[in-house]
Amino acid sequence: MEAIKTVVAIVALLLVGLPGSGEASDRLEQARRLVASGEARAARELLAEAASRGTLESLREYAEFLDRFGDAEARAAYARLWEAETDQNRKQAITRRLATLDYLHGDPASARRRLESLGVKPPAAARPAAEEAETIVIPGPLRSFSRMAAISRDLRPEEVLPAVARNVVTNGYQASSSNDALDQTEYLKLVHRYLSQARELTKLAGDAGVLLIENCESEKVGELLKILGYRMRGGCGAEVVLETVNASRAFLTTDSGFPLAELENALRTNRKFEYPYHPTRIPVLYGAKYWLGATRERGGQSEFIDLFLNDPQLCRLYLGFSKLDAETADQMRQGIPAQRIKAFSHVLDFFGGMFEIRQGKAAFPGGARAESAWADLVGVPPAKGVEFYEKLLAKDDGWLCSLYDALMRIEGPVQEYLTEPARMKRFYSAVRGRVTSPGPARPVFRSNADMMLLTTRLVVRSGQPHVPGGIEVWKDLFLKHPHGKYDGKLTRLATAWKEPDDVLEALFALTRKAVENEPLKTFMAISDLDRRRAKPLEPATVDRLARAYRALGSQYAIFNDAPSLTDRTILQFLDVATAVSKSGDNLQRGNTAGALQGLIGIWQILSRHGVLPEAKVDETLHAILTSFANVKDYVQIFDAARAGVRTLLAACGAAGAEDEQAKLLDLLAGVASPRDAESHQLVVQEMTRVLEAQRVVSLKLIFDLADNLEAVAKGEKLNTQLANRLAARLGEIQMPRAALTTAEKNALSFGYWTERHIEEQRKLNIRGQIERAANDAERLKKLRGLLTPVLRDTLVALNYAHYAPPGAQVLYTNPQFVRSHDFLGAQGTNQMWRPTEIAGTGWPANAGGRLVGSLSGLAYALAEAEQNFLVPSQTQALIWGDLVPQMILSAKIPRWWNVTPNQMHWVGLHLRYGRSLVAEAAWDAALRPAVLESLRRQAPPKRARLVEIYWAAGDVAAALDEVTPAEYFALAADLAGKAEDHVLGSEIRRLAQAHPQEVNYESISVAFGTPKPTLANSYRPELLRLRTFPTLMGYSSRIMAESWESNTLYWASLADEAYLQPSQLNLLVPEWTQKVVERIFASHLEDWPALLRSLRTVGEDVRDASRKQAQLRAGAGL
Amino acid sequence: MQGLSMKRTIALAVGLAAGGAWLLAQQEAVIRVKVDLVVLSFTVTDSKGRYVNGLKPADFRIKEDGIVQKIATFAAGNQPAMEVLEDGSLRPLTGATAVADASSPGLDRPDAFVGTSVFVLFDTSNFMYRGFVYAEDAIADFVRGLDRADSVAIYTFSRNLSRAANLTKDRNDAIVGLRNSVAGDDTALYNALLLTLRDAAKVPGRKVVIVFSNGPDNASMVAPDDVRAVAEDEGIPIYVISTNEVNRDPISSNVFRRITSRTGGKAYWAKTWQKQVEAFESIREDLGNSYTVTYYPKANPNEGFRKISVEIVSDVAKKYRVRARPGYRPRLGS
Repeated sequence: MEAIKTVVAIVALLLVGLPGSGEASDRLEQARRLVASGEARAARELLAEAASRGTLESLREYAEFLDRFGDAEARAAYARLWEAETDQNRKQAITRRLATLDYLHGDPASARRRLESLGVKPPAAARPAAEEAETIVIPGPLRSFSRMAAISRDLRPEEVLPAVARNVVTNGYQASSSNDALDQTEYLKLVHRYLSQARELTKLAGDAGVLLIENCESEKVGELLKILGYRMRGGCGAEVVLETVNASRAFLTTDSGFPLAELENALRTNRKFEYPYHPTRIPVLYGAKYWLGATRERGGQSEFIDLFLNDPQLCRLYLGFSKLDAETADQMRQGIPAQRIKAFSHVLDFFGGMFEIRQGKAAFPGGARAESAWADLVGVPPAKGVEFYEKLLAKDDGWLCSLYDALMRIEGPVQEYLTEPARMKRFYSAVRGRVTSPGPARPVFRSNADMMLLTTRLVVRSGQPHVPGGIEVWKDLFLKHPHGKYDGKLTRLATAWKEPDDVLEALFALTRKAVENEPLKTFMAISDLDRRRAKPLEPATVDRLARAYRALGSQYAIFNDAPSLTDRTILQFLDVATAVSKSGDNLQRGNTAGALQGLIGIWQILSRHGVLPEAKVDETLHAILTSFANVKDYVQIFDAARAGVRTLLAACGAAGAEDEQAKLLDLLAGVASPRDAESHQLVVQEMTRVLEAQRVVSLKLIFDLADNLEAVAKGEKLNTQLANRLAARLGEIQMPRAALTTAEKNALSFGYWTERHIEEQRKLNIRGQIERAANDAERLKKLRGLLTPVLRDTLVALNYAHYAPPGAQVLYTNPQFVRSHDFLGAQGTNQMWRPTEIAGTGWPANAGGRLVGSLSGLAYALAEAEQNFLVPSQTQALIWGDLVPQMILSAKIPRWWNVTPNQMHWVGLHLRYGRSLVAEAAWDAALRPAVLESLRRQAPPKRARLVEIYWAAGDVAAALDEVTPAEYFALAADLAGKAEDHVLGSEIRRLAQAHPQEVNYESISVAFGTPKPTLANSYRPELLRLRTFPTLMGYSSRIMAESWESNTLYWASLADEAYLQPSQLNLLVPEWTQKVVERIFASHLEDWPALLRSLRTVGEDVRDASRKQAQLRAGAGL
Repeated sequence: MQGLSMKRTIALAVGLAAGGAWLLAQQEAVIRVKVDLVVLSFTVTDSKGRYVNGLKPADFRIKEDGIVQKIATFAAGNQPAMEVLEDGSLRPLTGATAVADASSPGLDRPDAFVGTSVFVLFDTSNFMYRGFVYAEDAIADFVRGLDRADSVAIYTFSRNLSRAANLTKDRNDAIVGLRNSVAGDDTALYNALLLTLRDAAKVPGRKVVIVFSNGPDNASMVAPDDVRAVAEDEGIPIYVISTNEVNRDPISSNVFRRITSRTGGKAYWAKTWQKQVEAFESIREDLGNSYTVTYYPKANPNEGFRKISVEIVSDVAKKYRVRARPGYRPRLGS
C-alpha cells in the first residue's frame, strides 16, 4: 500500500512536470508539500531522482532532506554533495555536519579524521570511563554472580556494585522475630552460599582459570560434581545422567547458570568439558580501603564483597555515593570520614541525588536571594560546600534534606515562590514538625512522597500560589471538615488564615503524613482541575468537590478530559453520583452505576480525542446526567441509558445511526472521519473481537428488541427472531459453579453481586415474560426494563474494548470478564465510585480475577491485569509492576488520528537535533555551556557531569546514551531558536513559523504527551517536562512511570524516520510498547536506564525492518 | 504493590522474543482464513486398562452433537498421519493433499502429524523452591525418555512465563533450556498454562501440555476452567505431575483432576519428584498409543459447546474404553 502511494505521488509529480534548473525552490516546496501530506517517502524519491542528475542544489536538497529524517543514507548524500561543492566555506560546513553524523552513527574514527582535516581538535579517543577505577574481586564469572544477586547482565561494570548495594538495602535483610537485629533474607543467604561455592570452583579451576574435564573417566569429575551437588547415574557412556545428590549445592549450580547440561553432554559423549572460570574484577568507588574504614569488621580472611554484603548501612552509603557526580562525591569523601557519614547514609541515599559541589560551593535552590536562608536553616553557608552538605544530612533525620531535594528538582516561578527566604523557613518548620523521628528516609521508600508532588504540581501565577476557590473554602474545610478532624493543630491555626501562604503552610505540614493527608490530596486534585481550565472553578464548586473528595475524588480525573465543563455540570455530576449511591436495591444500584459510568466513560473518551465537538462537551454530559437524575426502576434506567447513547451519537453528528453500536465503535476508535480508513478499520476490528469474546449483546439488538416490545404492547406480534437472538447470546453465558466441587463452591465467597447480576441475565426469558404479561399493555410496555442489565454490560464493554491492552488475554479468555465488573464490591461496602481495582486473582476456584469499583481507573486496571501475560525475553527479567501498566496506558490512551505529518516530523527533528547537539558539543567548546545548561534542567547533576566526562574522553556514543529522548526534545526546544544555520534547528524554526497553529509546543504536548492519572490527576495526554521521579511510598514506581515522557516522543521520531504516517502509530505504538516491556531487564525499581536500553533495542529492530523493506522496495523497482 | 521482585523471590526468564517483522507485517494486508479443522486425539484401552493398538479408521465413528463426521486424516501412535479416502482406505499425506490452515504454519507439511509436540510447563515459583532441583532432574529424565519422533518445548513460569526452550527435537537443547531456569516469585499457573496453550495451538499436529507443579496458584488472572475450555477447544490434553504436597490444598488437587480429565489428559502425584517414573511411563504410553484423527465438522447450528463422541463400531471392540476430550467450542470468526 505504501509503495503504491509513493508511485502515485511520483507519477503525479511527473505529470505536472519536474522542476528543471533554476526551479530548485519549487522542487523543495513540492517535497515539503508531500511531507506535510504524509508522503515523505514520495518526497524522498522526488529529491533522489533530482539529485541523480547531480546539480549542486539538488544534491544539497536531497542530503539535507535525508538528514532531517535521520535517514541512514544522509552521510552518503552529503559525501556526494561535498564532492560537487566548490565553495570552500560550504565544503567545511558539510565536513562538520558529516563529522557529527559519523559520531551519531558510531564511527568516531571517521569523525576525528574529518575534524582534523578542518583543523578542529577532536575529542580524545574513546576509552572506558572506569578504566582507572580500583577494583575488587568477586569469585566466579560475572554472569553467574549477576544471576544470583538479581541484577541485570546489561549493567556496565561500574554499575554492578551500586546495583548489588541497592538489592541488599531493599531485599537483603528483614526484621528478626526474636530480637532487634536484622536477619538476612533467603536472597542474601543464597548469594553468600553461591560465593562460597564459586570459591571452591575457582580453586578447582586452578591458576589457569579453567574447569577442565578431559573425559568422563577423569579424576576431576568426582570433585567437580561434588562441588556442584550432583552425581553420575550410570557408568560413563551414553547412559550418563547427572542427578541431584546435594540439593543446596545443586540449587546454586543451576540457579547461577552453571552449564550443567553441557557438562552432562560432555560426560555422555566422553568429550572434553572446558569452562573458563575466572574471578571477576569490578570497579569500586574510591577503592576498597575507604569503605572498609566505615565498617567495624576488619574482615580477617573475608574479602571485600563479603564484608560489603554483611553491612546494609555500608551498602546504603555506597548507594548514596554512587548517585553523586564524581567531583561532588570526591569532595564529600575527602571532607567527611566514611564512619561519620555512614550514620546518615539513608538520607544521602534518598535525598542526596541533587547534591552538587562546584569550586568548593554547594548548589542550592532559590539563587542568591535564598543563600542566607539556607545558611540559617542548615547552620552552615552553602559556600562551605562539603560542610554544608554534612550538616544538611545530619539535620533532623532528613526533613530539611527532603525539602532541599524537592526544591532542587523544580524550577521557574514555583521554585522562586517556595524559596523566598521567610516563606521557605516557615514551610520548613511545617515540614519538620515537632517530632523529627522517624525521618522520611527511614522506610524502604521515601515516606513524604506528597511533598514532591505538591512542589511539582503547585500552580503559581504572578508570584502567588493558586488556591482553588479561594482561602475561605479551605479554611472552612479545615474548620468544618466533613469526616472529623484532619489535624487538631492545623484546625486551630486555620481560624487565622488570611493569605495563600497560610494554606500552603498547612499543606506542607500534611506532607509529613503518608496517610491521613486527605486535604493535601484534595488540594492537588482540584488544583489540577483549575490548571487546565480557562475559568477557574467557583468557590461553591470547589467547596463541594473538596467535601465530596473522599467519596468521589477518584472521579475528578474525568473532568480533566473536558476542561470546558461548566460548574453546573460538575455539581450535577456530584448530585447524580450521590443519588445513585443511595438508589434502589444492590442489583439495581449496580446496574444504574454501570450504565451511567459506561456512558460517562464513552463521553470521556470522545471528549478526550475531540470526537465530541468542544462546544457540545458540556451539554452532552449535562444531558446524560439529567437522564439519570431521578431514575427509580429498571425501565427508567433503560430509557436513561438509551437516551444517553442517542445524545452521544447526536453530539458527534451521528444522530439516527441505524446501527448505534457500529457507529459508536467507529467513534471510540478515536476519530470521527478517519483519513487512514485502513488503520481505523483495524482498530475497530480489535474492539469488535473483544466484544465478541465477551459475548456482548449489541446495542442494535437491545434497542430493536426494546422497540419491538413497545410495539407488542400496542398489539403487534413479538419479533421472535430478535428474542431468539438475545436468548442465544445470553445462553452462551456459562457460570463456573456447575463444574466446581463443594469445597470449591464453599471457598467462593467473593463476587456475590456479580454472580447475581450474571444470573439475572441468564434467567432472562423475554417470551415467557410476554406470556405472563398476557395482554396487559402496561406490563408489556415495561418489559424493556428487563434489558437493563444487558444494556449495562454492553455500555461497560465498549469502555473495556477501547482500553483493551495489547494481547488482551484476559478479555479473550474469560468471557464473563466484563459482566463480572463489580460496581458494588464485597457485601456491605460501596465501591461504585472508588478507583478501579483488581480482585480475585490467584484463587483457583473462582471465575478468575475481576475488576471492582468504578470505571474511572479502568484503563490502568486492565493494563495491570494484562501485564503478567507479557513474556520477558531476557534471562532473569520480570515484568515490572507499576511501571508497565503505565507504559501500556501511554500506548493505549493517546490516539494519533488527528496528528499531522508536520507535527510528527517536528518531534523527529527535535530528537535528532538534540542528539546532534550532544554530539557536536563534544568537539565544539562554544556549544557546550548551552547544552549543559539545558541538560541540567532535566538530568540530575551526576548524569550531566557524566556527559561532560564522556565528551572529554571522546566517547560520544556513551554521552549520547546518557540522555533520554524527552531530554533531547527539551534540549532541542531550548536551543532551536539560537541555531541560525543548523540544518535541523533551522527546519524546526521554519516549520513552526510556517504552521504556527499546527506546529507548536502546546499541540505537541497534546499529541505526544502521556496520561498522568496519579501525578496530574488526568488521563488527557500532556508533556510536563519533568525530571524523572524516584520511587515513592504509596506510589511505588507509578509516579516515576508517569514522569517518564520519552516513549511516545521516541516512537514519533522513529515513525518519522521510517517515513510512516502518524495514523499508523495507533497500531504500532501498542505493539512496540509490548516489545519494550518484554525486553526490559531491570535490576531494581528505579532502573529506568534499563527501560531506555529496551526502548533503543526495539527502535533498532524497527529501523532494521524499515531498511529491509526499503531494500525490497528498491529491488522491486518501486 | 507489585514490582520487580528479587531473585529467590525472582523468576528467571530465558526468552525467545516472539518473532515478527513488525513494520513489514503492519504494512501488508493480512488475510484471515477461518478453517474449522478439528484435531482429536484419544486412547483406547481394554477392560484391563491395556492400550489397544492396530485399530483402523473404519473401526471408529466420530460424532459431533450426534452428527457423524467424515475423518480426513488418521494417525496411530507416532506413525505419520494418513489421508482417509472415501472408501476408508489410507493414503500417505503429501504436500498437495495435506490440510492447510493459514493460522497454523506448517500444517501443509506431510510430516506435520508425525510424533507429538510436548510442551513442558515447569513451575519455578516460590512454592517449588525446596523441590526445585529434583523436579528439574525429573523433567530432564522425562525429556530424555520421549519418543524420537516427538518434539519438546520447555517453558517455565512463576509470575510470568518464560520460553526456556522452543519446540525442538533436540533433547539437549531442551535440557539446556531447562537447566537455565531459576526458582522464585509468585505462582501464576493458569496464566502460564493459558499462554502455553496459545503457543501449542499454533503448532500443527498432535500436542500435549505437561505441567510440573505443586500449586496452589496465587497470582493468576484467569480461572482454571477458562483455561481448560481453551485446551478443550484446541484439542490439547493437559497432564499434571505433582508431588503429594499438592494435596495440602484440596482445591488445587481438585482443579488439577478436573482440567486434566476434561481435556483427555491425566493428573499424577507421587511422594517425591524422584518417584515420578510411573507417571512418565504412563504419559509416554499415552503419547505412543493414542490415535489422532482430523475432520472438518459438518454443518452444525450450535455455536456453543459441541459434544464429541468417539464410538467403536466393530463388535469385537465394543467393550473397549475410549478416552478423549468431551467436546469443544468452535472458534469465533474474525
